[in-house]
Amino acid sequence: MTNSWNDIQYSDCIMIMGSNAAENHPISFKWVNESRVKRGAKLISVDPRFTRTSATADHYVRLRSGTDIAFMGGMINWAIENNRINIDYVRDYTDAAYLVNPDFKGPIDLDGVFSGLKDGKYDKSTWNYQVDENGIPKQDPTLQDPNCVFQLLKRHYSRYNLKLVSTICGGDPKEYEQVYDVYTSTYKPDKSGVIMYAMGTTQHTYGSQNVRIFAMMQLLLGNIGVMGGGVAALRGESNVQGSTDHAALFHILPGYLKAPNASQQSLQKYLEDTTPKSNDPKSANWWGNTPKYAVSLLKAWWQDVPQDQAYMYLPKNQDGVNYSIIPLYGAMASGKIKGLFCWGMNPAVSTPSSRMVRRALTKLDWLVAADLWETETSAFWQKEAGVNPADIKTEVFLLPAASSVEKEGSVANSGRWAQWRYKAVDAPGHAEDDLWIMTQIVTRLKALYAKEGGAFPDPILNLTWKFGKPNKPSSREVAKEINGYFIVDKEIVNAATGEVTKFKAGDMVPGFALLQDDGSTCSGNWLYCNSVSNTENKMMKRDPSDPTGLGFYHNWSWCWPVNRRVLYNRASVDSQGKPFAPDKPVIWWDGFTKSWKGDVPDGPWPPDAKYPFIMIPHGHGQLYAVGMADGPFPEHYEPLETQVQNFMSSQQVSPVLTRWDKKAKEETCDPLIAEGCIAAIYGTEDSKDYPIICSTYRVTEHWQTGQMTRWLPWLAELVPHQFVEISEELAREKGIINGQKVRITSIRNIEGVEAYAMVTPRLKPFVIKDKTYHMVGTTWHFGYKGLVTGGIMNDLTPFIGDPNTMIPEYKAFLVNIEKA
Amino acid sequence: MSAHEENMVRITDVEERVVHWVLAASCIFCVITGLGLMFHAWSIIPTMLGGYYATKLMHIYSGVVFGGMLVYSYYMWKKDCEFEESDLQWVLKAGGYLWPVKDLPPVYKYNAGQKAFFWCLIACGIIILVTGLFMWLWNPVMVPVVLARIMYMLHAGAVVVLAAFIMIHIYLGTAGNPGTVSAMITGYVSKAWCQTHCPRWYADRNKKAE
Amino acid sequence: MAEYIKLIDISKCTGCRGCQVACKNWNSLPAEKTTFTGSLQNPKDLSYNTWTLIRFDEIVKDGKLRWIMRHDACMHCDWPACVKACPSPGALTKTDEGAVVHNTTYCIGCKACIAACPFDIPRNDPALEKMAKCSLCYDRITEGKLPACVTACNTGSLTFGLKEDMVEKAHKRAEAIGGTVYPNNPKYQTHVLYVLPAGITAADLSHTNPNPSMPLSVLLWKNLFKPFTLIGIGAVAGGAFLHYLTKGPHKVHEKKEEGGE
Repeated sequence: MTNSWNDIQYSDCIMIMGSNAAENHPISFKWVNESRVKRGAKLISVDPRFTRTSATADHYVRLRSGTDIAFMGGMINWAIENNRINIDYVRDYTDAAYLVNPDFKGPIDLDGVFSGLKDGKYDKSTWNYQVDENGIPKQDPTLQDPNCVFQLLKRHYSRYNLKLVSTICGGDPKEYEQVYDVYTSTYKPDKSGVIMYAMGTTQHTYGSQNVRIFAMMQLLLGNIGVMGGGVAALRGESNVQGSTDHAALFHILPGYLKAPNASQQSLQKYLEDTTPKSNDPKSANWWGNTPKYAVSLLKAWWQDVPQDQAYMYLPKNQDGVNYSIIPLYGAMASGKIKGLFCWGMNPAVSTPSSRMVRRALTKLDWLVAADLWETETSAFWQKEAGVNPADIKTEVFLLPAASSVEKEGSVANSGRWAQWRYKAVDAPGHAEDDLWIMTQIVTRLKALYAKEGGAFPDPILNLTWKFGKPNKPSSREVAKEINGYFIVDKEIVNAATGEVTKFKAGDMVPGFALLQDDGSTCSGNWLYCNSVSNTENKMMKRDPSDPTGLGFYHNWSWCWPVNRRVLYNRASVDSQGKPFAPDKPVIWWDGFTKSWKGDVPDGPWPPDAKYPFIMIPHGHGQLYAVGMADGPFPEHYEPLETQVQNFMSSQQVSPVLTRWDKKAKEETCDPLIAEGCIAAIYGTEDSKDYPIICSTYRVTEHWQTGQMTRWLPWLAELVPHQFVEISEELAREKGIINGQKVRITSIRNIEGVEAYAMVTPRLKPFVIKDKTYHMVGTTWHFGYKGLVTGGIMNDLTPFIGDPNTMIPEYKAFLVNIEKA
Repeated sequence: MSAHEENMVRITDVEERVVHWVLAASCIFCVITGLGLMFHAWSIIPTMLGGYYATKLMHIYSGVVFGGMLVYSYYMWKKDCEFEESDLQWVLKAGGYLWPVKDLPPVYKYNAGQKAFFWCLIACGIIILVTGLFMWLWNPVMVPVVLARIMYMLHAGAVVVLAAFIMIHIYLGTAGNPGTVSAMITGYVSKAWCQTHCPRWYADRNKKAE
Repeated sequence: MAEYIKLIDISKCTGCRGCQVACKNWNSLPAEKTTFTGSLQNPKDLSYNTWTLIRFDEIVKDGKLRWIMRHDACMHCDWPACVKACPSPGALTKTDEGAVVHNTTYCIGCKACIAACPFDIPRNDPALEKMAKCSLCYDRITEGKLPACVTACNTGSLTFGLKEDMVEKAHKRAEAIGGTVYPNNPKYQTHVLYVLPAGITAADLSHTNPNPSMPLSVLLWKNLFKPFTLIGIGAVAGGAFLHYLTKGPHKVHEKKEEGGE
């Protein structure tokens, strides 16, 4: 989230799309309702299903699963046509005025693809901005130049007219127009709207572009950086923000530093490649500080080793190779991966085509699972999993782990608030907290390497692990390392004022601006620098007062970066530092004291001294994003598995997908994997057997794979069975009555998964060009362990991911359904 | 035969007397416990009986006994209590209880008042029995609440009628008609009593005896 | 003693069922072994161990689909039929705060309250011969705490406060959203109020009583038959005594076998 949960109360219009916030983020509705009661805000729900969110919304429109870009492209087009954009904001704070390489061609010229497409990948050489002799992008502030971003965008979305969009989405054009009208009414400078999204947006083969188009819409309406605005990514787990911040991902290091590649064989090369540059004096280009953050991170991990050498310890990704969860199981099946740690994770249920994943697990030599209960993953070898335990050679260790209330640590919520949680009770039996388990492993590994040697022991032997005694490690010590401290005594001179500040070795670094690239500071995550001071752990703050009176609650927990509650808040004020929305300002410039008031500003500089989007190299919000693997503008494509032709262009699916199904056919993959990653492609014979669109989702009452909730009697009683939501029309067609058992099949699982039919008017078939398309929906909460059990729906889901993030396409795939 | 016995007529047999008293005892016990449950002010009754739950159980089980005896008595006395034409005359003259009546139609074994009491007992008793069984055994999940409400109400409603009738019965069986109570104790009443209260039956009996 | 009201604003309810679980949590009620009911509503109904239930109603009205989630629990009537019907003192009590509280210690399992309740709320356990229902968390509110369900509600749908404040709040909110207050009957007041969203009436929803009242059967039973049982007995006894005094006992006249044969 660019803002925070309680900031939603300042919104004038809330659009929930690709999210069922009422069900999956129930607490958000405290603030949604607050804004509706206090500000008269309107709530819009855009969803293929009529959900609990839709039930409480002022406006509900439905769209076929996977047509978000068409719907939002339609909104952009409608907004431009009806002058519903905040033109001053767009001109001054976004890259709308930037000129793009005249050789750049878009889908409007190239029938659905962008220039540079070659072998299923984009060569982005034609995508760049035109720059002047200083390397600063050329601009046309009149926004009239045909090569300026604004004109390109306008032209690109001119095709997304109401008629075509409603045809693609399968909705009512009148309703769409009404929603466009309501939402774009927030274009006025003193109004703001927020888009709340979650996995319904991201879990597509163009999921990143779905998010992009939300960000673009918000930039066009001037809704970024303001109160009640922003793009609200609703994180699906209480601490998933923390897990991405601290990089539980293959492509980044903590603090969103890029993961090094094999071609970057020295620290210098890595820093050169990953540090963006800008010669524009008004661009803060905050990522220009990458060397300070990267070096401090290396010093946090290997304090006693020079940073250049420490860099060599880092594992490197092979260039161009993807290490996401999807290829991971291929590597497992082919025996490349021999051991697996599953830490509070249940891939046997959660991963796409999970039956195949369970087979891949059988190829492991060992599996270590740390969990509260025995999960389907740690029990993949048992009879309930449908296998013969005698056939499985994998050695499985189940480490009983402590739950969140049985250990101490921080949790970072969607609004980036890192909140300290204390231990409430002792964990039962032999259950231990994760830090203890990890410390034991590290300590014992170090001892083993010291004793026996082995291949490349240095990274482990030299690893800095100063979190207290091995049998009593403290997460407070971890928090200190994450914040960072001075390794040696250091004097820092403020370049602007000439003031000298002296720090002693061991002092906490007060903020990331003071992190050093010479190895004198360490910081486990630069974003969290400022969270712990010499005297206090700010994440423990629980002062419910609100000194600014604006709902920031700066003394309640701590928020990255540097306790700033609204990101890009310099975009909420004009060039004089006056807020666009005087009744709900984020920051304002006090001309008398020459300082900012309100929230922690995005940098101390006076108004207009720097562009507001400080994390972007050139300082402007990006309507046009070169960084995307699948095009600078989001373009509508169909899901990999669909029954509907792409009416926007003849490019049926995203042209830059990694097609595991094709690889499977070419038998370049392991045969185990081959069976699990085939797909029912549009227009093929295969797709005719699976005519129904299916989407998976969660319900309030269960959590993820149900590994925790299905063991709790009070939650198990609420949703005791796997079910599939079916429209009354489809039920009539198939002779299915409510509560009957049905079997859902996909091309990856022709035996099918059983579930109970929930026949409901909340689902309706989509009629597109006189053809009827049915859709069903089901949860992925069930498995074969727990107080209540049920079919694993991810046995059906396709093995395909977004080209940017490899997030699997759980939200739109093809199935068939029959009475069981 | 003693002189005394010569003067007496056996009017009830053992079976009748046993049934009468079991029925009467269970009925009165039900009334007492029922009143104890109905009037919170009379908590002395449930308290003496070991609490409200125990009282409920006693009420139910004595109700079961009452119900059994009720059914038994129905088959035992229904013949004797069939109405006949002359009963109407008897009723119109209030059985001679309220004003002097000369030509009261001769009664067979039971007069119309007794018969009415019997049928009232049967009718109200059946209502109380059926509603009581319902209240004891009904499953709220299966039964419409409207029916349940009618049942609880009827149970109480039938008691109003029956309790009043029982009081009349007791008065007329004791103080109101001296010499009657022995019919349900020894089984014998005096010949004179028979002449007065059941002349036709008495004549019939004598005829048979001859 | 102040009277309280629990206000349920349906327009703010998202059916998360936090209240349903919080109720079980505070009152230590065991989970039920449930089956698939064909909707998200589960357990299917209130029970001895489920005092609070979110009911899910799919309503198509004027061509528009509505999905109403309703927090269903005891309405805490001002003139509670259950208390009136209850034979065992202390088993059901209306407190000064407005809560209708049950006490299983005194409950004798007669099910009279179940038959009496105009909202079909009390539930019994046939094996235990006890009834149970929502107590408005009487044990919490007398300690200055909110009922467990209100504490758990995050959307602002459930609120709790002084009677006058809540009545005013309910009507204001109903006016603001074009909805109605239910039950809105000055003759039949409850300590639970609903704000129903625009276009939805109590009759559209499952398990409601659009016109709640003390059931006629309970009135007849308790206000008529109950006194008349005693009046009847007394009247007869009095009548008999009077008869005895005025007319005297019906004497048997010793006559000698006159005219019989």
